[in-house]
Amino acid sequence: MAINIHRSWWKRFLIFLAILGPGIITGSVDNDAGGITTYSVAGATYGYQLIWTLIPAFIVLIVIQEMNARMGIVTGKGLADLIRENAGVKITFFIFIGLLIADIGNTTTEFAGVAGSMEIFGISKYFSVPISAVIIWILVVRGNYSVAEKIFLVFSAALLVYIVSALLGKPHWSEIGHSITHPSVDMNTKSIALVIGVIGTTIAPWMQFYMQSAVIEKGLKIKDYGYTLLDIVVGCVATVVVAFFIIVACASTLHVKGIGIAEAKDAAMALEPLAGKLAQALFAFGLLVASIFSATILPIATAFYVCEAFGFEAGIDKKWKEAPEFYFLYTLIILLAVVIILMPNAPLIGISIWSQVLNGMLLPVVLICMMLLVNNKKIMGEYVNKRLNNIIGWSAVVVLIALSLSLLVFPLFT
Amino acid sequence: MTSQTTFYFSQFAGSRFFNPEGEALGKISDFLIDVLAWSVESHEPQRPRVIAIRVKRGKDFRTFEFQSFEIRKYKGKLRLICRDLKELNTDSIQNCLWLKENILDKQIVDLEGRKLVRVNDIRMVMIPSGTYALAVDVGIEGLLRRLGALGPINRFVESFGLSLPTRMILWDDIEAVDFSNSSIKLSKTSSKLHTLHPSDLADIIEDLDKASRTYVFSTLDEEKAADVLEELEPEVQAHIIESLPKEKVADVLEKMPADEVADIMDELGVRKVEELLNEMEDQSSKEVRELLEYPDKVVGSIMTTDYMTFSADLTVEETFAALRKEKPEPSYIYSIFVVDKKDRFISSISLGELAISDPALTLGQVMKRDPVSVYDDDDIDSLAEIVSKYNLLAVPVINRSQELEGVVVIEDIVEDLLDKRKTK
Repeated sequence: MAINIHRSWWKRFLIFLAILGPGIITGSVDNDAGGITTYSVAGATYGYQLIWTLIPAFIVLIVIQEMNARMGIVTGKGLADLIRENAGVKITFFIFIGLLIADIGNTTTEFAGVAGSMEIFGISKYFSVPISAVIIWILVVRGNYSVAEKIFLVFSAALLVYIVSALLGKPHWSEIGHSITHPSVDMNTKSIALVIGVIGTTIAPWMQFYMQSAVIEKGLKIKDYGYTLLDIVVGCVATVVVAFFIIVACASTLHVKGIGIAEAKDAAMALEPLAGKLAQALFAFGLLVASIFSATILPIATAFYVCEAFGFEAGIDKKWKEAPEFYFLYTLIILLAVVIILMPNAPLIGISIWSQVLNGMLLPVVLICMMLLVNNKKIMGEYVNKRLNNIIGWSAVVVLIALSLSLLVFPLFT
Repeated sequence: MTSQTTFYFSQFAGSRFFNPEGEALGKISDFLIDVLAWSVESHEPQRPRVIAIRVKRGKDFRTFEFQSFEIRKYKGKLRLICRDLKELNTDSIQNCLWLKENILDKQIVDLEGRKLVRVNDIRMVMIPSGTYALAVDVGIEGLLRRLGALGPINRFVESFGLSLPTRMILWDDIEAVDFSNSSIKLSKTSSKLHTLHPSDLADIIEDLDKASRTYVFSTLDEEKAADVLEELEPEVQAHIIESLPKEKVADVLEKMPADEVADIMDELGVRKVEELLNEMEDQSSKEVRELLEYPDKVVGSIMTTDYMTFSADLTVEETFAALRKEKPEPSYIYSIFVVDKKDRFISSISLGELAISDPALTLGQVMKRDPVSVYDDDDIDSLAEIVSKYNLLAVPVINRSQELEGVVVIEDIVEDLLDKRKTK
């Protein structure tokens, strides 16, 4: 009997491993260069004070990704397909042009992460950025994507180096506990903008499209729903744990010494005298892996959704002649990002902030579409949202709209 | 009024319609077209007629007969004028499609290009006998028209002496497949999809969403369905089988070679397999059951049990006569097999060898003295080497008591090799 129980546990674990992927990969891509920058700045500027924001971000992230997974499983259609078929051309056009521009900005931020982390190891950006762009381009177009995905999954474990980095800085656990139990925000522009930044970077709009397609790609069925949910929770926990330790690492060293930073690279540089060379190298390595990971997935995913929505042929299994729009878009996104990064005196921080603003504006629009779709009985049948999903979902929409609006309004006063 | 007015569906969808006095009566929501009054056999181009219109008046959606509607030019623009409102009972509607609900913005099958395309707009014409759908616009032009930007962008492009590419597909060459938001079902005989090659159809089905997959598959007759099912990816096969009634699935599986059925069964749960096997005819299910007993890595698991045997004293001429009478699938007779009275394997003769032999000779005189065969429990990996070394299209499979059990044809070996490469 004992053997039986053991076997069924083992079998379930194997099924979980087979289904594993969509949630965990999405969770890992989430902590990209933009995310690491935001968390570092939040930790360095406000210490442990903003750590509590990770909790609502975590809940909303799970609720949103669960809806994506459920829509993917039930309909077998991508989010771009569903939006195009139900919201018509004009809304689709607005969303995808926005997504395209925001993602060019996001990709630029990823390459900025590559440039920054390699500079810590003494390699010039004029060398590291073009080389990594070419490698990424070839990997996706000529290589085997499913193999690449598995490699990245292993690599995403490298993000756990932030835990080591944080522990080397000897954090104050009682202060961290206090921050989580007593959430507070300083009522000024910079502090609120950072709260928005933390939540906004954790729930980027393009990720909803990615999550849903990944679920379909895996061919998941409704009987796999339990495992998918587990995969999502594991992915979201990974996202938030990494974010937590980045904030802690910067808070327990930089904030204590009163060192302000503007970029993730600054954080790595500043860590050295405080937490040692190892912590600095680990931080830089984590940033590099996260940046390359996201720079690989983001451009290809964006090109794919735009083509899907407008009915152009798309997919890396197609030839150039069969899907010219798709390859053109993909190449264009990478090319533009590289050109922007390599421009002398490029306003990198401005680009990073503005792509976040655009993300923030898009997110509520995408979320409203999602909420309407997932509650549509014709589309979802018996799998429409339960009451609790709707309460959390719609409150998230309201809060995010409020946050995005303030993100738009606040810079006007600073 | 001109006798012929061409227009696009997007010009009317969402806009208002009027009575002859020019008063707005409501908003146009959708057109219903009749797709049955056409068959593949007739050589007329298909032009589905608009038979009804769905309109929004206040908060209600209502459906009216289209007969009393007409299109007129008004101040340079087209207007839909309604002379009389005759309500139509939508319960009795059959073999019709809604343009917005089933076609516009949806994926349809482009039969000519053999792929899925997304519909950006629909080209229509009004002539004295009625209003008809002509073609779907799947190009960038249609997108721009919907965004209201076609005029300016066209002028911009033309100023460079260029023009926007137009991509229209005539109604003959499309088939609607997306009924996920709709209760409408088409009669199966009217589907043009069965004109496609099974491999192309399988590729299209793989690209579709779950509901449409099941719908498309259920429109096919059993023979076609069997050919298509064979070509699908394992996970799509499993999904389709699980979503169709078991009687229908069993009928399709009976039309397939037993080895293919056994492959599909490997993807399904034990209970489903048992259910399907019980539903199938005894002869077919017995063959499948035997194949299922072989472990994955041995020859028996990929062999087919469809082959032809002859006795050694038959002449070449008689053999050909028997083949012509039987009309087996070409892949069953890459080689024919010579057996003794107890069904024990003696030798094989390839169809090529048979064709160049003297018709009067017996098979015993023609056959190879030293035939190549494999055992059903041999490792699959040995097959590729054997077919390559001996230049064979088919390898006979025997059991340890020398009885013929089946044959492995070259397609199955290639498929096995490709699968292995994919999973590496």
